[in-house]
Amino acid sequence: MEAVWQELGNPALWKMTALAFLGSVFPVVLFNIDRYKILWTGLGGALGWLVYSLVLAGSGSAVAGSFCGAFAVNLYSEGMARVKETPASMFYVPGIFPLVPGITAYGTISLVAEGRYDAALQQGALTLGIGGGIGFGIMLSATLVRFVPLVKRRLRMTR
Amino acid sequence: MGKMEEISELALTAGEILLANGAEAYRVEETVATICRAYGCRGECLTVPGGILLEVKGETGEKYAQMCKAEQKHVDLYRIELINAFSRRMARHPLPFEEAKAQLEEIQRAPNFTLPVRTAAAAMTGGVYAVFFGGSLWDGAAAMLVCAFTYLVMEWVGRLGFFQFLEYVFGGLIIGGGSLLVQSLLGGVEANSTITGAIMILIPGVVLTNGIKDILYGNFSAGVARFSEALVIIIAISMGVGVALIVGRGWL
Repeated sequence: MEAVWQELGNPALWKMTALAFLGSVFPVVLFNIDRYKILWTGLGGALGWLVYSLVLAGSGSAVAGSFCGAFAVNLYSEGMARVKETPASMFYVPGIFPLVPGITAYGTISLVAEGRYDAALQQGALTLGIGGGIGFGIMLSATLVRFVPLVKRRLRMTR
Repeated sequence: MGKMEEISELALTAGEILLANGAEAYRVEETVATICRAYGCRGECLTVPGGILLEVKGETGEKYAQMCKAEQKHVDLYRIELINAFSRRMARHPLPFEEAKAQLEEIQRAPNFTLPVRTAAAAMTGGVYAVFFGGSLWDGAAAMLVCAFTYLVMEWVGRLGFFQFLEYVFGGLIIGGGSLLVQSLLGGVEANSTITGAIMILIPGVVLTNGIKDILYGNFSAGVARFSEALVIIIAISMGVGVALIVGRGWL
């Protein structure tokens, strides 16, 4: 827990969070999302990165960090989707961008190109792990969000 | 045209717009069924990766089946949002056919950002992520240059109608080769950070998350197809960048 508090005081974290905000703002134009939602998509990206960094600092696992980050982003998106009455993809598509394992993916390609296959396998496994973490985070939160109204409806029907 | 034909036509147009602009298969099926229900019919809809099959059942048991082919051209979430709002409105107060059709046509003509704006946004995305992944500001500037060029070339190549696989191999080649070229021409630029940032504009995030969600909601045929599409794109980008690195590091 102490590592998490320490990370919160780290100026580099806030610089990266600001960059993550920007990194979720510009893809809005690429996907032609309604321009009045730019602020909200940016906040989603920043939230995802913040959760990722804090979990990474606390647990030391990038896979766990990505899982929690993606989980938070998707939950935020589903919440915003209910508030703004729009599909959730407006918010999680750009919001997930900062969590994409760009460095490790590129590292894998680069190592293969250099012919260092042992190291490439390691990097590749890490990339797959992070990708799987993000996918599982989205899956779990999407299931939860769908599950709640379903249970409510069932309860109403049995009554 | 009979009433059922008009319902089916309307629902399929909405579904086609959704599918062509990168919506999940379950959303297409829900929207089509909602529109049919708004007119008092039952619509049974099946979305496959290449199109939509729909059977409308009327109150007296008559049936009308229609299909339409739709290919996912690009990702345009604004149109998906508009169709979503349209289907919500229809569920509350169904409009007459003519009015509904006019609204759908208007959605198809909805504005997009112009090419210069999109290119600038692609450049900024690449630049931000080059810095985000640990590059210097110079790397960011180089990534902006490479991204703007790549985006314009991809737009042009997309219009030529290549296979998707080749398109992305080409994109990876340009990013890898361009970054190495910038590195060798200008001192102080690190090609690794530049490439990492620039790749972000090619990553098929929407296709991948749509695939995950469709699999999750039980639509395996569409979900697995989307998922493997995303994998093919990722492999294509990796191939392009890898070839550029092997060739470029040997020469430059």
